[in-house]
Amino acid sequence: MLIQAQQLAYTYAPGTPLARPALRGVDVEIGPGERVGILGPTGSGKSTLVQLLAGLLAPTAGRVLLDGVAAHGHSAAARACRRRVGLAFQYPEEQIFEPTVFREVAFGPRRLRLPEAQVEERVRWALQMVGLEPATMEQRSPLSLSGGEMRRVALAGVLAMQPQVLILDEPAAGLDPQGRRELLARMRAWQEQVNGTLILVSHNVDDLARLVERAVVVAHGRIVADGPLRRVLSDSERLRAVGLDAPQTVTLLQALRRAGWPVRTDRLLPEEAAGEIARAGRLLEAAG
Amino acid sequence: MAAFIEIRGLEYAYDLHGRRVAALQGIDLTIERGEFVALIGPNGSGKSTLARHLNGLLLPTAGEVRVDGLTTTDPRHLQAVRQQVGMVFQNPDNQLVASTVEEDVAFGLENIALPPAEIRQRVDQALASVGLQGYRTHPPQMLSGGQKQQVAIAGVLAARPACIVLDEPTAMLDPPGRQRVLALVRQLNAAEGIAVVWITQSMEEAAAARRVVALHAGRVVLDGPPPQVFEPPERLQALGLALPPVGEIAHRLRAQGLDLPGGLFTVEALARALC
Repeated sequence: MLIQAQQLAYTYAPGTPLARPALRGVDVEIGPGERVGILGPTGSGKSTLVQLLAGLLAPTAGRVLLDGVAAHGHSAAARACRRRVGLAFQYPEEQIFEPTVFREVAFGPRRLRLPEAQVEERVRWALQMVGLEPATMEQRSPLSLSGGEMRRVALAGVLAMQPQVLILDEPAAGLDPQGRRELLARMRAWQEQVNGTLILVSHNVDDLARLVERAVVVAHGRIVADGPLRRVLSDSERLRAVGLDAPQTVTLLQALRRAGWPVRTDRLLPEEAAGEIARAGRLLEAAG
Repeated sequence: MAAFIEIRGLEYAYDLHGRRVAALQGIDLTIERGEFVALIGPNGSGKSTLARHLNGLLLPTAGEVRVDGLTTTDPRHLQAVRQQVGMVFQNPDNQLVASTVEEDVAFGLENIALPPAEIRQRVDQALASVGLQGYRTHPPQMLSGGQKQQVAIAGVLAARPACIVLDEPTAMLDPPGRQRVLALVRQLNAAEGIAVVWITQSMEEAAAARRVVALHAGRVVLDGPPPQVFEPPERLQALGLALPPVGEIAHRLRAQGLDLPGGLFTVEALARALC
């Protein structure tokens, strides 16, 4: 699915003394199957942007097109488009309310009035997609699950709607390091299996580096950077100017470079940075 | 002299749909006055349950928790225990109750019958300690997440505690908010000698503490300074945890034959060791 935001603007409480512009004219295009990270400091407008992209908010000005169809509004075409975009807010497990895992994940597909056999098939597929075994999980109460399992059940509920676009807002927040890696790997596997579009809102460089290839930086309601993840995240001056820090790997590589090490500074993961430092170290040694 | 907080044989179990869940299974731990302890562990390891025992929000199923010599199971001690040990939680929006910042900070004090002038002075001092003097009359909901946590910390400080327990206070904050809150708490610890128990999933934050305690399945499995807890990384991974990013780089470089000392967890330390 092709997503286009054109001159997109959004103001909270327009026409009142409390009017607060959150987005001021944003143009962005996200192609089918792209993996995009959205970054920005608190209050930058990034949450507003993803809610507009999912058609949950109607823009104050400009528009969002999903495969050419306006995302907001009440037409059947707009509704059909929105259904193809799945959005998981932060801490999605807080919105779990059904008494069993099966019913929780089946909630969306049932609202589509699918035949029960199809609902069951979708629930099993979605649970497997997030790494939960349907046979042992389906009849359990979500309340009896660990925090990490509840998070995965909530995400399965989104996947069961079979979206073509998946928007995740800090999907791994609060998870321990192993749970974090596992969840990200599952989301990546979903993206590869359905060739879906993945939009990840996150402050976590490690999450971004493992999941997306393009970064869009939002600040003061505008897009201030848009490009390959490595390039955007290694531009420490621009990041600092909008109140974000460069990743620690980049800061370290830049310090070494200033000290005369022949290193590239756009390595984001610890293993990449270590490889780069070791390579440069051998060069320095060979040069005596 | 006995330690400030003494935990002996602490067990805690609760009932979930008729099933008994053992959240803490025999914890022995002491925390001294003025210490800065990071508490880490995978999801479900018992960190929050342990934290809630430190000021009597939860009471032991077996064993004992003493704060400044007072056992938390004696209801007569609860007020004194809670004055000494303040709690700050993860979600800033769930902790703020009043319509202005200063009323919020004063809220706890109004329940312990202090004279108004004393309340005024303590609120002003607490707001100064967290750097929010200029926000006295602001509505808390207009503040950033980091600032809301600063207000929550000021509310705890106003009671003049000897210890603050913070349960993943940075989990919902952006990086500047995280740094702001961590810097504030480190400064309160260093300048005012307030003991800190800092619960986190960020190994980077934990590496900044002098002492790290790791929980796993309701037990203390590691306890010591960061280098001792974070190395070897294989042991950490087996517990569902990981090295901080810089520590991981140093570890990988050592594996490739570079001669580096242990305990390198910050960019500055690793850059210095390499150059």
